[in-house]
Amino acid sequence: MTRLAPTAEMTLGPFFPREFAQGANDLTVVAGKRAEGEVIEITGRVTELDGKPLDNVVVEIWQADAKGRHDNPDFFGWGRAATDAKGVYSFKTIRPGPVQGRAPHINFLILYSGLMRQLQTTMFFERVSDPVLDLVKHRDRLVAKKLSSQSFSFDLRLRGDDETPFFDD
Amino acid sequence: MSWIVEPRDPRTQSEGVVAGYAHTARRWPSQPLVVRPHDTGELSGPAKLERRLPPSKADLAGRGANRALGQLIHLRARVVDEDGAPVPGALVEIWHCNSAGKYLHPNDASDSPPDPNFHGNARLIAGDGGLVELRTIKPAAYAVPDTDGWWRPPHVHFSVWGRVWLSRLVTQMFFPGDPLNDHDAILNAVRDPEARARCIARLAPTTRGPANALVYEYQLVVRGRKAAPRMP
Repeated sequence: MTRLAPTAEMTLGPFFPREFAQGANDLTVVAGKRAEGEVIEITGRVTELDGKPLDNVVVEIWQADAKGRHDNPDFFGWGRAATDAKGVYSFKTIRPGPVQGRAPHINFLILYSGLMRQLQTTMFFERVSDPVLDLVKHRDRLVAKKLSSQSFSFDLRLRGDDETPFFDD
Repeated sequence: MSWIVEPRDPRTQSEGVVAGYAHTARRWPSQPLVVRPHDTGELSGPAKLERRLPPSKADLAGRGANRALGQLIHLRARVVDEDGAPVPGALVEIWHCNSAGKYLHPNDASDSPPDPNFHGNARLIAGDGGLVELRTIKPAAYAVPDTDGWWRPPHVHFSVWGRVWLSRLVTQMFFPGDPLNDHDAILNAVRDPEARARCIARLAPTTRGPANALVYEYQLVVRGRKAAPRMP
């Protein structure tokens, strides 16, 4: 069977339409229906070398529902946010349950000017044993900071000191 | 249905720090990317993404007094997976600059004029054959600020969702025969000449499209192929 090579990925560029990135960062409601589970907020800053914040970075997430399922028709586990001029993004979502064999986590994808292709990373809620988290040297950098019981912070440092670990998928 | 997503081929996919593109040295991670196993989270994806991202009209060119300036073109892009199978229902976002090289974006500081009739982005859903079609105008080339004479060739941005989370594709489409294509730092970061050639659209006979529009055909291949059925 012939196999086609995937199209070459290229940078998002600096002019990703603002309106494309709006209205998709609240995962708690889909088609007027409120998802089951614990509502949480995740915020973070995206920075480049020297800690400079980046504007209009696109951050997309994909996660399981409160029971650890990816195929719940009443929970839409995908969302998108863009950073503001201070480099800050935010999501409102449901705290994911554990998927079989994995600690609760949220997959992150980052698209931006100067990134030749997407970057992939994963946010965890606690530093526990997990087959993916265990592969990483600086595990603490993939564990979100708990700001309150409903609020977490997860910064994405693309390059430089305390650089976020990224995955090669 | 289960899917397999294999590692990227470094000849056909670019990454890292690219000569002549200064931002890459400030933004691409300095540490090696960690290879991980894929499970449900990577090999599943959002169904009916239009529930979150509503589609728009498939026309950026307008008509009559509202017609955007520039050469009318008609883009016909097909979304397929690595098996060559069409991906009906795939969501596709498209954006590009106007016929003077200006983006409708607050961060575009160039002094090229905006076009009041050109709204530069569309969100479409692929039909049965994985096909999306967009009537628009041809974007212009523009100089990249703070570089030593880097001009972006005319190009169209695509953002595509495929079968699963790891199928996400963001890329740019170029136009055939433009001499700037040979000098663009982004297109030429793809090492394999055939992979680069596949990023250039094909000009089709104009009789196949709407009136007065040049028709460009293009194929977007998203990552992922069908997993072979397990032996009992």
